[in-house]
Amino acid sequence: MAEVVTIENAPAAFQREAVEARAAAEPDWLAARRLEAWNTYEALPFPTTKSEEWRYTDVSLFRLDELRLAEREAAPAVPAGARALLEGKRAAGRVLQVGASVVELELDAALRDRGVLLLDLDTAAREHPELVEAHLATRAVPARAGKFAALNAAFWTAGVFVYVPRGVRLEEPIRVARWIDEAGVAVFPRTLIVAEEGSHLAYVDEFASPDFDAPALSCGAVEVIARDGADVQYVALQRWGKGVRHISTQKTLAGRDANLDTLVVNLGASVARVDLGASLEGPGARSDMLGLYFASDDQHFDHNTRQDHVVPNATSDLLYKGALYDRSHTVFRGIIRVHPKAQRTDAYQTNRNLLLSPDAQAESLPNLEIEADDVRCSHGATVGQLDEEELFYLRSRGLTRAQAERLVVFGFFGEVLDRLPLPGVVEELRSAIEARIG
Amino acid sequence: MPYNETVANLGLEEYKYGFVTKDKPVFKAQRGLSEEVVRQISAHKDEPEWMLKFRLKALGIYNAKPMPKWGGDLSGLEETMDQIYFYLKPQERMERSWEDVPPEIKETFERLGIPEAERRVLAGVGAQYESEMVYHSLKKEWEEKGIIFESIENGLKLYPDLFREHFGTVVPPADNKFAALNSAVWSGGSFVYIPKGVKVETPLQAYFRVNSEQLGQFERTLIIADEGSQAHYIEGCTAPVYSTDSFHSGVIEIIVKPGARFRYTTIQNWSNNMYNLVTQRALVHEHAHMEWLDGNLGSKLTMKYPSCYLVGEGAHGQILSIAYAGDGQHQDTGGKVVHVAPNTTSQILSKSISKGTGRASYRGLLKVYDGAKNAKSNVECDALLLHDTSRTDTFPYIEIEEHSANVGHEASVSKIGEEQLFYLMSRGLSEDEAAAMIVRGFIEPIARELPLEYAVELNRLIELEMEGSVG
Repeated sequence: MAEVVTIENAPAAFQREAVEARAAAEPDWLAARRLEAWNTYEALPFPTTKSEEWRYTDVSLFRLDELRLAEREAAPAVPAGARALLEGKRAAGRVLQVGASVVELELDAALRDRGVLLLDLDTAAREHPELVEAHLATRAVPARAGKFAALNAAFWTAGVFVYVPRGVRLEEPIRVARWIDEAGVAVFPRTLIVAEEGSHLAYVDEFASPDFDAPALSCGAVEVIARDGADVQYVALQRWGKGVRHISTQKTLAGRDANLDTLVVNLGASVARVDLGASLEGPGARSDMLGLYFASDDQHFDHNTRQDHVVPNATSDLLYKGALYDRSHTVFRGIIRVHPKAQRTDAYQTNRNLLLSPDAQAESLPNLEIEADDVRCSHGATVGQLDEEELFYLRSRGLTRAQAERLVVFGFFGEVLDRLPLPGVVEELRSAIEARIG
Repeated sequence: MPYNETVANLGLEEYKYGFVTKDKPVFKAQRGLSEEVVRQISAHKDEPEWMLKFRLKALGIYNAKPMPKWGGDLSGLEETMDQIYFYLKPQERMERSWEDVPPEIKETFERLGIPEAERRVLAGVGAQYESEMVYHSLKKEWEEKGIIFESIENGLKLYPDLFREHFGTVVPPADNKFAALNSAVWSGGSFVYIPKGVKVETPLQAYFRVNSEQLGQFERTLIIADEGSQAHYIEGCTAPVYSTDSFHSGVIEIIVKPGARFRYTTIQNWSNNMYNLVTQRALVHEHAHMEWLDGNLGSKLTMKYPSCYLVGEGAHGQILSIAYAGDGQHQDTGGKVVHVAPNTTSQILSKSISKGTGRASYRGLLKVYDGAKNAKSNVECDALLLHDTSRTDTFPYIEIEEHSANVGHEASVSKIGEEQLFYLMSRGLSEDEAAAMIVRGFIEPIARELPLEYAVELNRLIELEMEGSVG
C-alpha cells in the first residue's frame, strides 16, 4: 500500500531549525517566544473540515507541502510592480516589503519628533522592548489563537511596528505594501499597532503580486491595540495575484471610548482565509467591522469574524458584502459573543451576498451567543441576485447588460465604502475595485 | 387581589403534570442497551425477520457513531444511558376503548384531559404509556374514508407493504446517532395514512406519557399523506418529575405526496429531568405543503430541528418554532429546510424566551442545491431575555449553491423594554401582568397558529412562568 501523505507531515518547509535560525540573533525574550510558538504549532493539530470553524475550507487548499521559507535578503532588488504600490500616495509614513525583507521605510520627520514610531518589528523589538514585549503575540494574537497564528508567531519576518504616543493625531495614513515576487515561497508578515490614549491613526495594508502558476503563501498576523479614547482605522486590501494563498489572523483590542474600525477587502489570491476578532474591552468602545469580497474563477474566500463584548456599554457593527462570479466559493462565519457582564451592548452583524453565476456558491453563518439581557443585538444574512428592476432601469438608459451589472455591483459595495471615514483611501479602494470588476 | 396572590391561590405554580401513577407493567427489559434487549423488543412485538435485522444493523451504527459534540451538554446522558430501561411494556395489548385500558393508566390520561379532548375536538387519539401505545382510536366517519390511524406496531402487522415501502426512507438509521438508536429500539408511535384527496378537518392526536423513573421512550411515527390530502397531527408529551434523568428519543417520518398539505404540531412539556433528542423530517413532493409547529416548553435538554426536504417542484415548507427555557433548561431547537427542486419556497419563524438560568439556542440549516431554481426562503429568529443570567444563541447555517435562489435570515435579541412596561403600568397593570402581556404579544404570531386549547394553555403557562420575573 502506498504511503498516505497526510497534512500532518507534509509541510517540510516548517522545521524547528528554521525557527532557531531566526531566533539566533534576537533578544532572549523574543527568541524564547518564537520557540514557544513553535511548540504550540507542533502541539496543535491542523484544522480539518470536521472542526466548526473550518467546515467549508480544506487546509489542503493551501498547498503547504509545496512551499519553502522566503529568506531575508540584505539588498534585494525592488520590482517595478512593488515600487508602484506606494508611489504618489499621500502618507504619514511608508513601508515596502518584498518577500521576507523590508526594502523601504520612512516616516514624516515631524511625527518622529513627536514620538511616533514606524519601525520594522525586529528593530522595534531590539530598540523598544518596553513597548513591544508586552504586546507582541500576547493578548491580541497569541500563538495559541490557532495553528496558523502559531506558525506566524514562530516564523514572522519583516514585521511592522507602529506606535502613536498619547494625544498625537496623524493626518495622513500609514501605508504599508507587501509584495511577493516568486511562486513557491511562504512569507509571514506581522503587524503590531499601538495607539495610546486619545491618539489617532489610519493604517492601510496592501498585498499584491504578479499571477503565478504555482502556489505561494502569505501567513500573516495583525494586532491592533487602541487605548482609551484612541481612534484607529485599519484597512487590509488583499489583491494578490493568482496562485497566492492568503491567511491572516487579526485581532483588535479597543479600550474605554476608543473607536477601532477595520475594513477587510479581498479581491485577489486563489484562496484567502481571514480570522478577525474585535474585542471591546472598555465601556464606550466602538468598532465598525467592514468587509468586501469580490470572487471569480475558482477563488475561495473564507471569513471568520468574532465580536467579543466583555464590558458594558460597547458597540460593534459588522457589515460584510460579497459578489461571486464563475465557480467561486465564499464563506462568511461570524459570531457576536456578549459575556454576562456586558450589559447595554449594541452589536450588529450583516452579511450580504450576490450570486452572479450558476456555479458560484456562498455559505453564510451569522451566529449570536448572548449571556446578558439588556442588549440590542441583531444579525441578518442574505444570498440573492442583482435586482432585475435596477438592471432594467439602467438598460433603458442605454447601458449594456454587462455595464448595468457592473454598476449595480459597484453600488452594492458602495454601502460598505461609505462607512469608512477615510475619503482619500476610499477613492483608492473604489479604483481598485473598479479595476477588479473590469 | 394582587396578581401574584391570585396565581398562588390557584395552586398551579408547579409543573402540574408531575404526578406519578402506580401501575404493574407486564414486561420490563434489563437496564441498559444490548443486543439481547433489541431482540427482546422485537420478539415481544412478534416482528418479521427483516425488522429484527433492521434493528440489529441500526444498533451497530449507533455503537459506531460518536456522541455529538455540538448542541447541548450530553455528558450527563452517557451516564443515564447505562441506568435506564430501554423497553417497558405497560399492558398486554393496545385497546380501542378507554373502558378496556387498565384503570390506573386510564386515570393518568383522564388527568391529562385526553379522553375529554377526544370527545370534543379530535378526529382520532393515540395514547402512549411508557414504551407502548395503550390506546388508539379513530372516529368512525374518518375510518370510513379509508384513513389509517394505528399504532406503529399495528401498521407493520396490518399494512406490511405500505409500511415497508416507506419506513426508514425519510430518516435512515445512519442519519445521526440518535436516529440509529431509535431505529434499534423503537417502540410505540403512530402509523398514519391519509388517502388521496381526503381532507381531515379535525386534528389527530398522539399523547406520549412517561410514568416510570429512568425510562427511555423511543417512539417512531410514520405518516403518509397521499396526493391532494390534508390533515393535522398533534403530539403532546409529559412525564413526572424524578431526581434522576430520563430519556426520550423519537423519530418522525412524514411523506407529503403531490398537492397534499400536512401540519404536525408538537407541544413538548416534558418534566425538567428529561433529555429530549428527536429527529423529525418530512419529504415534500410537487406543490405539497408541510408545516411544522414545534413548541418546546419542557425537558432538561431538547435537541430538535424539524426539517423539510423540498424534493418536488413548487413544494413549500414552513417551520414555526417556539421555545421556552426556564431555570436550568436548555432548548437547542430550530429547523432545517433543504431545497432540492425548482420554485420551492420555505419560511422559518422562531421565537424563544429565556428566563432565569435558561438557555435557548436557535440552530438552523438552510440549504439550496444547485438546480433548485428560484428557490425562496426567509428565516426570522427573535429571542427575548428575561434575566441577566439568561442566555440565548443563534446558529444559522446558510448554504447556497443555486444562483437564482433568494434567501434571507434575520435575528434579533431583546429584553422587555422599560418603556413598554412603564406604559402598561401607567394603564393600571401590575408589573407581572404587564410583562406577561408583552411576552404574549411576542409569541402571538406562533400562538395564533395553535389549536385553541393549546393556545390557551400556552398563554396560561407563560403567565405562571412570568410571575415575579421582572426587575
